[in-house]
Amino acid sequence: MLSLKHIRKSFDREEVLRDVSLQVRHGEVVSILGPSGSGKTTLLRCLDFLERADGGELTLDDLHVDLAHAKRRDVLAMRRRTAFVFQNYNLFANKTARENVMEGLVTARGVSPDEARKKAEEALAWVGLLDKAGEYPSRLSGGQQQRIGIARAVVLDPEVIFLDEPTSALDPELVGEVLNVIREVARRGIAMIIVTHEMAFAREVSHHVVFMEGGRVIEEGPPEQIFSQPREERTRTFLKRYLTDSNMYYI
Amino acid sequence: MAFHLDYFLASLVSGLAYLPRTLLLVSLPLALGLLGGLVLAAFRVYRVPVLGRLTALGVSIYQGVPIVVALVIYNLLFMSLFNDVAAFFGVATTVAEVDIIWVGIFALALQEVTLMEESFRGAFYSVPAGQREAALACGLTELQALRRIIVPQLVPVAVPMLMNHVVGNIKNSSVVIAIGVAEVLTGASIPAARTYSFLESYVAAGLIYWALATAAEQLIGQWEIRPEARQSSWFWQVCARVRRRRTVTVAQQEKRGQVHAELEAYQKIL
Repeated sequence: MLSLKHIRKSFDREEVLRDVSLQVRHGEVVSILGPSGSGKTTLLRCLDFLERADGGELTLDDLHVDLAHAKRRDVLAMRRRTAFVFQNYNLFANKTARENVMEGLVTARGVSPDEARKKAEEALAWVGLLDKAGEYPSRLSGGQQQRIGIARAVVLDPEVIFLDEPTSALDPELVGEVLNVIREVARRGIAMIIVTHEMAFAREVSHHVVFMEGGRVIEEGPPEQIFSQPREERTRTFLKRYLTDSNMYYI
Repeated sequence: MAFHLDYFLASLVSGLAYLPRTLLLVSLPLALGLLGGLVLAAFRVYRVPVLGRLTALGVSIYQGVPIVVALVIYNLLFMSLFNDVAAFFGVATTVAEVDIIWVGIFALALQEVTLMEESFRGAFYSVPAGQREAALACGLTELQALRRIIVPQLVPVAVPMLMNHVVGNIKNSSVVIAIGVAEVLTGASIPAARTYSFLESYVAAGLIYWALATAAEQLIGQWEIRPEARQSSWFWQVCARVRRRRTVTVAQQEKRGQVHAELEAYQKIL
C-alpha cells in the first residue's frame, strides 16, 4: 500500500538518509528501531514533507510522489491521507482538546462543525478523555496530551499514521496509557509506522521491524526474528545494549 | 505664576474639539501598522524570496530615521510633487485642497508598520515550530495554519509590546504639529493665543493625551489575558454576553421561522 524507494536526505553536508526503501502493507504496523542519529525521525518527517528529501519516491495506493520535487497539490494530498503523532504532542495550544481533534476535519477536510464535533467527541471517548474535551492542553498531563494527539490523528481516518517516538517525552508511569491507545489503533487495522525505543512494545505490536543505523536500513523482518535471531552484528549489539540498559533503569 | 482654571477649562474644551483628528491620526496608522506589520513579519519569518529581504532592508533604514525628519521629508515631497502627480493622473485636486493630515497619517503609519513588524517577528519566534508542523500534518495549508493556529498564539505575546507602540503613537501623534497639522495639541493652545495661558493649554493637552493613552492601555490589556482565564475579566464577560445574545437571536429567528412555516402549513390544510 505504502512504498518508499531510495529516499535520500542531507543536512548541509551531513548525510542523514542514504537510500532508504520500505514497504508497508494495509493495516500493517512497522516499527523503526535504531540508535539516535540514525535518521529514523528524519525519515518520517520526509514522508509528511515536514522535511524536504533530496531524492526518493513515495507511492500511497494510487498516489505517486517524487519526494524531492513534489508540487504543493501532491504535498497536500499526501498530508490529507496520512496523519502524524509527534514526540512532544504538539497539540494546538490555543484550542481545547475537542477543538484540537476537530481542527483537521473542519479546516482541512471541510466537514461541518456539527459533524466534526460529534466525530471528535467519539474519538475522545475512544481514548478515554471525553471528560477533558473542554480543557486546554496546558492543563493536561503528557499522557493525556499524547492520547489526544492520537485521537487527532485517528479522527482523520488516515490510510497510515506516522508516530515519531510517541512515548519518549513521557514520565515512565504515563507510557502505558499511550501504548494501550496505540494498540487499539493497531486493532482497528490502521497502518502505522512507529519510531520507538520501547523494545517490548515494538516486539508485541509490530508486524514488521526495521533496524536503522547511519541513515541505512541495516536489517528488517518479523519481530520474532529481529529480536531473537538478528542476522547483523550491529543489530545484535544495539539490542543487547538497549535491553541491558533498560533493565538497569528498572533495578 | 497663577494657574487659571477657567483658561484651563477653555483649553480643555478647545482641545477636545480636535479629539476626532487625533483619534484619526492614531487609529488609522494603528490599523495599517497591525496589518502591515503582521504581513511584513510573516515575509521575514517565512523567508519569502525578495519580499523578506526587502522588508529587512526597509525596516532597518526606516528605524534609523527620526519621525520628525521623515515627516518633514514627506511633507516637502508632498508639497512639491502633488500637483504634478495629480495632473499626471488627471485629478483636478490641487495641493491646497488636500488636508495635510494625510501626510501625517502616512508618516505615522510607516513608523507603526516598522515597529510592529519587529514586535510581531519576535512573537512569531515564540510560537514553537511544532505548532505549524502539527497544523500542516493535519492537512491545513500554510495560510490556514497561520490564521488558525499561529496568529492566535502570537497575539497574547505581542500585546505588551504593541501596547507600548500604541501608547507611544498616541503621544507621537502630536509631532505632526511640525508640519502644521491641527490636532489636540493645536486645539488646546488656541485659547492661549488670546490669553497667553500657555501653561493651562499644555496641561489640558497633556491631560487629554494621558486619558487617551490610559483608555487604550486598559483596552489592549484585555488581549493579554489567555483564553482560559478570560471568564474573570469584565471586558470578556461583556463580549461573551453580546455573543450569547447574538446566538440567542439567531435561535429565536430560526424558531420564529419554524413557527411561521408550521402556521403556513396549517393554513394550507385549512
